[in-house]
Amino acid sequence: MARSTSRFTAPIFSKRVIVIVGGYGSGKSEVAVNLAQLLALNCQSKVAIADLDIVNPYFRSREASERLNEFGIESINPRGDFSSADLPIILPEIAAAVESYDGTLILDAGGDDVGSRVLSSLTVTFPADDYEMLLVLNSNRPFTQDVPSCQNLMREIETATRLKFTGIIANSHMLHMTDITTIIKGLDLAKQVSTTTGLPVNCVAVDKKLLSELEQTDIEVPVLPLHRLLLKPWEREDTNSDSSTMR
Amino acid sequence: MAKVLMKGNEAIAEAALRAGANNYFCYPITPQTEVAEYMAKRMPEVGGVFLQGESEVAVGNMIFGAAATGKRVFTTSSSPGISLMQESISYMAGAQLPCVIVNIMRGGPGLGGILPAQSDYFQAVKGGGHGDYRLLVLAPSTVQEAVDLMILSFDLADKYRNPVMMIGDGMIGQMMEAVEFPDKDADPKPPDESWAATGAKDRKPRIIKSLFLDPVKLEENSWLLHEKYERMKKEEVRFELYKVKPENEFMIVSYGTMARICQTAIDELEEEGVSIGLFRPISLFPFPSTQILEEATKENVKALLTVEMSTAQMMEDVVMAVVGNRPVEFYGRCGGIVPTPEEVKEKILEMQKTYSK
Repeated sequence: MARSTSRFTAPIFSKRVIVIVGGYGSGKSEVAVNLAQLLALNCQSKVAIADLDIVNPYFRSREASERLNEFGIESINPRGDFSSADLPIILPEIAAAVESYDGTLILDAGGDDVGSRVLSSLTVTFPADDYEMLLVLNSNRPFTQDVPSCQNLMREIETATRLKFTGIIANSHMLHMTDITTIIKGLDLAKQVSTTTGLPVNCVAVDKKLLSELEQTDIEVPVLPLHRLLLKPWEREDTNSDSSTMR
Repeated sequence: MAKVLMKGNEAIAEAALRAGANNYFCYPITPQTEVAEYMAKRMPEVGGVFLQGESEVAVGNMIFGAAATGKRVFTTSSSPGISLMQESISYMAGAQLPCVIVNIMRGGPGLGGILPAQSDYFQAVKGGGHGDYRLLVLAPSTVQEAVDLMILSFDLADKYRNPVMMIGDGMIGQMMEAVEFPDKDADPKPPDESWAATGAKDRKPRIIKSLFLDPVKLEENSWLLHEKYERMKKEEVRFELYKVKPENEFMIVSYGTMARICQTAIDELEEEGVSIGLFRPISLFPFPSTQILEEATKENVKALLTVEMSTAQMMEDVVMAVVGNRPVEFYGRCGGIVPTPEEVKEKILEMQKTYSK
């Protein structure tokens, strides 16, 4: 497969802990898993990911831990019987990692304020100014289609987690029906939320298949290329995706 | 309306509102709790009633009461919760009350687990509660179909004055897909004045009950219900065929999301030169027995395979449908383990060897 250099830059995160939150089904886990891979490929530091989704055991980032392992990414997840539980299990290893992991730690939280509340139990160990909390925003989801509803969700999550947002990841998609218009419309909403809240749009997440089409647009923000890993049992992994490399 | 990306549970909730069902009672349970969460947000917007019961037993009786007023009412739950509702479901069938019950199934028996399963087939299709009654049972395989069948369920419940159950495995509730809702008036339907308890102004009070101490009246009621179920068998059979062709030697029978896994297996086997088709029942009661028999007895068909996320429950209906004309094989996993397309392919290739002898 031909490798071309894309005009897009990869998102840069300099903080030690990256917290991924957002509405139910906004694509947090898929973003977290792909971001972990990107950072592992581009960064000098090592990367670990912890799945904090305690709401339910469907489509969680822990399903991709084998794949992440191939990239040298460490997964910190409940084991054995508890790996498919909906119990509020936070491993002591996670608290320890939040306090002192010597690489980049990605925390993949559950949806809404309900799913992200568990983060508040880690607040005491949280590095005061060495974390990012990123809102994953999909404008095609019912409760994040305009600025007021996004702000409402952000307020609920900040109250529940006792952490502050530092940025936004635009992740508008319609699964396999996503096209370039979906992405542009979603980025547009992310920019409106950015203007209102003063938070930056750190990057736009885009399915690898759409990267070449994205080149034709005037989009300027950094791009997180997505390769879908959390699949339904009848879906097959996409092997024909565009293999543009990020600078 | 434009397409939105929704979890099955959210889509089911929204579909009910579009059907004018402004009365919802529920007790939370994984993997369907998002229905209640969605309703908690949306119900105040439409001015309806959402009450969380103290248990599923209470919820079942709340449904009975609300249904008796002739208003559209529904509940959602998952396997153990549905077990707790069985008494009131039987009462509602006996009292001829329309309502919609959604079961997003998890692995059982008992408290079981919280991953997807189809092991409540018998409970849904063969009774569950006591007495001579049936539920009309529908099983979607996509989130869009869950929306469409949810809306249809309310119409069918009204048409037959009988509880309708929609069953989906945990996957149907949890997965996200793009869906579209019909631009339909979401105004609540006025109650049917011919039977509902609407306040008895200027008329005699009506008593809605399932108690008939006079055996003659009780038998009469049971045969009346039976007639409705016979009518459902004539008018409400729903199914879908996928790649069913005259040259096929085998046919898979599978429902819900399991059928989609079978489709992937069928597509990949086709590329390998093996041609098989899929019969997907959409209505589980009435079961498409006649139609399965018709397809099964086509000249080239050697055997049928039922694939389920349970230990051969629907298979019994398939065996009854083909009345000994063809062998019926089974493949299934349970407890929350979902068969992979590879496992289905392997089973078909194994059958190919067995039946070519």
